[in-house]
Parts: sequence; structure tokens; C-alpha cells
Amino acid sequence: MENILYIKMRHRVEVENKKEIKVEDIAILVGPEPLIREVESVVIYHIIPEDQNLVILDSAKLIKAILNSKPNVEIQLIGLSQTIIEVIIKRRTHSLGLFIIVWVLLFVGAAMAIMNFHEDVSMQEVHQKLYRLITGKNISKPLIMQIPYSIGLGLGMILFFNHFFKKKFNDEPSPLEVEIFNYQQDLDQYVIMHENKENIKHIHDH
Amino acid sequence: MAGGLAVGSGFVAFLTVLGIVPRLTQLTKTINRIRHYEWAVVLGAILGGWVSLADTIFYLPSLILIPIGLASGIFNGMLAAALTEVLNVLPILSKRIGVQEKIVVLMMAIVLGKVIGSLFQWIFFVDL
Repeated sequence: MENILYIKMRHRVEVENKKEIKVEDIAILVGPEPLIREVESVVIYHIIPEDQNLVILDSAKLIKAILNSKPNVEIQLIGLSQTIIEVIIKRRTHSLGLFIIVWVLLFVGAAMAIMNFHEDVSMQEVHQKLYRLITGKNISKPLIMQIPYSIGLGLGMILFFNHFFKKKFNDEPSPLEVEIFNYQQDLDQYVIMHENKENIKHIHDH
Repeated sequence: MAGGLAVGSGFVAFLTVLGIVPRLTQLTKTINRIRHYEWAVVLGAILGGWVSLADTIFYLPSLILIPIGLASGIFNGMLAAALTEVLNVLPILSKRIGVQEKIVVLMMAIVLGKVIGSLFQWIFFVDL
């Protein structure tokens, strides 16, 4: 009874120039205090340069390493069954030049996209017609509604992403944050399956 | 009648996919009023359909066009923001060049691009 060890693996761990991964790095241990102290410093894995920056350690490896050093412990796995280890070789440097290029790209792209959209739906004609409908006068450039329209365009986007009113309305994540989370989740799922070669067993792999 | 049914259901499907109404109710926490929002969309579509087909003229002062323009702009802005291009491009792009913290700045590039592109079109481009 006093030999049960509950293990919860972490989802994602960042390590910096560390050569060996210990149990305590990738898992949270619950159980008798002396047992935890004995197990937490067990080395599971040595990072080699060929690993590059992603290593997946799954529960099988973890349990095997623990049982090797302490055979008569009963392990209960709770939660995740693998940990993604991100080896940070050097801190990412933010290249300002690249950032400015991307900024300009997005800016010009967005401007062109909206102009093409307006041409596509003949927005100019619609605005002229709307102006005549409301006032009864014909005018070629109904700027009185087009300038508020343009400002509203920006306001609507900001409102949708909810960056400035965050504190005011609520603290739910914005659609963009959810989208970033989903993207990261997909990436994690991919590396879990593909970096860990043991997950896939081909029929010709004898 | 058949054409109207097809276009009407298509329009509602389009709005549903983009999720502007849910987003607005989420922002304002008025989920219990969603019935009224549905009717606002339906009545707006009917009114827009009517005035674009019939040649009704209201003879109102042109100042009324300012709030109309602003509201239609906000709606279009939310539409543009909800389009998947923006939602998919930003996370990938920011991760590729490693600027997750500056994603707001990148978003502002798109917002300013839309505003200035639109202003440029109305003020100069239409004369060309």
C-alpha cells in the first residue's frame, strides 16, 4: 500500500542546454514522501544533439526507468501519457527587419483585399444609391457615409478580437487566442505521433 | 418566392458560419436576447431587400448617413475579422517568425491596412 506512486506527466516542458532529463522534470509525483525523494532524481533520458529541439517521452519510458531503479513500486498514471520536451538551443532572437517586412506585407495585403472586395461587390454604386435613397440627391462621392464606414471597418475588427475592451466586458479568451491555442494543439498532436517512433509500427519493420 | 427562400437561407447560413451574432452576444453578455438579434437580422435583410428593389426615397438630411455608414463599417469589419484568412494566417505567421508577443501589432497592420485602403479607395481611387 505504501508503495503506490501516482504520476501525472506534464504536457510541455522547456529545457535549456540540459543533458539529462530526470523524472521530476517531466512529471508530478504524488505518494509517500521517501519514495518520491528516491524516484524523482531518476534519469530517464539523455539529450543528444541529433534530437534537435523536440523530444517526446511517453509513459512507457518513464515507468520503465522508474521500475529499473526501484522494482517494487506500484505506479498509477493519472492524466497525460506523454510529455513534449522542447530543447531550447538558443533563445529566439526577434529579427526586427523580418518583423517589419511581415508588417508591411499584412498592411498592403489587407488594403488590397478590402479594395478588391469593394470593387467586387460594387460598393461605390451601393453607397451612391443609398445616398440618393436617404436624401433624394445624386452625388458621385458620398464621403459622408464612406469615411465613417472606413473607420467602422477598423473598429469592427478590433471589437471582434476584443483587445481593448477586454477588461471592460469579460475575461474570456478572444477568437484569436483560441485559434492560436488550436494551432498549437494540432502541432503538439503531430509531434507526439511523429517524433515518437514507437507509436507507429509498420508491417515491414521486422 | 423560391428564389427568395434560397437566398434567405443562404444568407442566414453565411452569418451563422461566420459567427458574428454569437460573438456580439458573448461580448455584451446578452445571450438571453438572441431571439431579438435574429429578428434584427431578418428585418434588416427585408428592409434592405425592399429599398434596393423599389425606388423609395426618404428625403432625409444627409447627416443620418454617418451612423448608417459607421454601423455598416463595423459590421463589415467584424465580417472581415471573422473570415478564416485572418484567423488562420496570424497564428502561423507569428509562430514562424517567432513574435508571439507582438501579435497585436501584426493585427493592427491588418486593421490599419483595411481602414487606409478603404479611405484611399473612396477618396482617390474612384476618380481614376
